[in-house]
Amino acid sequence: MASDKKARRIAVISGKGGVGKTVITANLASALASSGQRVLVLDADLGLANLDIILGLDPKRTIQDIFQGNCRPDDALIKTAKGFDLLPAGSGLQENTVLSKNLAEKMEALLSDLEERYDIILFDAGAGVGEVVLFFAALAHRILVVVTPEPTSLMDAYASIKVLKQLYKRNEFLLVVNQANPKHPDQIGTSVTKHLQSVISKFVDVGTSPPVFLQLIGSLPQDPAIPRSVRNRQLLSETQPPAASVCFVNTMAECLRRTMI
Amino acid sequence: MRKKRIKLGPINGNSPDDRKQYDLTAALRILRHAGREDPQLYTNDSEKQIQNVIDALCDLSVHDGMTGLVNATFFHVVLAREIERSLRTGKTCGLMVLDIDYFKKINDTYGHTVGDRVIQSVAANIMQNLRSMDTTARIGGEEFAVILPECTPEDAIHAATRIHTALNPLLINIDGHDLRVTSSVGLVWTELSHSLSSGALLSEADREMYRAKHSGRARLCHPPLESTMITQQERSSLMALLNEENTHGK
Ligand SMILES: Nc1ncnc2c1ncn2[C@@H]1O[C@H](COP(=O)(O)OP(=O)(O)OP(=O)(O)O)[C@@H](O)[C@H]1O
Ligand SMILES: [Mg+2]
Repeated sequence: MASDKKARRIAVISGKGGVGKTVITANLASALASSGQRVLVLDADLGLANLDIILGLDPKRTIQDIFQGNCRPDDALIKTAKGFDLLPAGSGLQENTVLSKNLAEKMEALLSDLEERYDIILFDAGAGVGEVVLFFAALAHRILVVVTPEPTSLMDAYASIKVLKQLYKRNEFLLVVNQANPKHPDQIGTSVTKHLQSVISKFVDVGTSPPVFLQLIGSLPQDPAIPRSVRNRQLLSETQPPAASVCFVNTMAECLRRTMI
Repeated sequence: MRKKRIKLGPINGNSPDDRKQYDLTAALRILRHAGREDPQLYTNDSEKQIQNVIDALCDLSVHDGMTGLVNATFFHVVLAREIERSLRTGKTCGLMVLDIDYFKKINDTYGHTVGDRVIQSVAANIMQNLRSMDTTARIGGEEFAVILPECTPEDAIHAATRIHTALNPLLINIDGHDLRVTSSVGLVWTELSHSLSSGALLSEADREMYRAKHSGRARLCHPPLESTMITQQERSSLMALLNEENTHGK
């Protein structure tokens, strides 16, 4: 890909916490990298970062260090063995759950510094629709919503989409349906998307245009190999025996790559 | 009842012309005391001169000397007018209240000169982040209010977020080191279904601002946005989907 092109930014959000944003971001990044994309993952969960943990890394420098002037972006950037780069965030800083002028300006400067080197930048955002999550969603070209077929996840995903539509006039969302019934995950993905779309059309779209459009980029089945891979700090493609859900991640990456063109 | 005239100068006669001259002299003296005695006030055309002085006095009476923002008295006039206009046009109006955090401490630690500079910087920063139709007032020592006319609640949240983000934190250079100042912001908007007086709307905005103070300061608080609330109907529609999911899912 031509190097004068700027990276497309994708924010991974969910509303409800613990539905698989981080697992999906990491695995998706690796699949995209395998297909030749230059990928950066930015741990945008500034209050409760854990991408580095999932990847088995122990970063010495974080985004916060860059922002405090303790190091340059390249000092914090980790070239992971999985083919993509990671900008880790420090954990437990309550201060980072509040959006400040500092944070906003520095994040934008950091991104414009890095965006020419990558094709795709993934933001692994925190749970909820707090101001930091909304900030990253607003910065992103695409918003990817992770949802599970479970009441609270569905409700929170719906609420997040509604807020982003009403407040930020976003009307295109990518969807990943996670923890789907392994017997027919694709079917579940399609029907969750269809139904969510119909409730949105009925209640959110009224009196506003253009309408919200959800695009399913893939489903991921409920798979015991996933928590196992997390425990072993592996990606799904590295597990032995190979996890069945790897092919779902690859399909997702391919679909995402096509929507990015 | 007529108020007694304040004696600002000698009255040499009682003719209407004397009185006029006396008023003019008194007015010029007020302007001089307020640091508003502009050489452009003076002209040989006496009618024009009186108009200039009236304009300057009006200007003085609606503005806050330290920041140049609208003062508390005039703020209520503008707010009442905008509430009325909002009911007439059917377009909601936003009201934002902003209070500098720990201002007493800043004053006690660094003195009033620094305190004044903090107030002026906050005022300048608010002004930089507004539309021309918005009105910013200093309504208390370290408290500001911004009227956002013809704003949907969503627009008002955007405007308030921009100001809140620009001000948190505000760095003020004091003898070579940065003083970090934050502010708490409360935002409300008019409801077209029930009208509030300017005083009542201001109390609501104050209540949101105190909520911001109590939830850790440096925050922006506002009532829930109706357009983003989830109704019982939406809830049950979503749940209906799950029941279907489970029947053919499991
Ligand atoms: N498809 C799946 N099958 C089984 N377990 C899963 C699946 N997806 C995620 N999990 C489990 O859910 C846990 C939470 O996932 P993850 O940390 O990615 O969620 P998250 O959305 O990033 O959470 P947070 O909101 O806290 O950031 C993981 O430890 C993983 O074991
Ligand atoms: Mg996570």
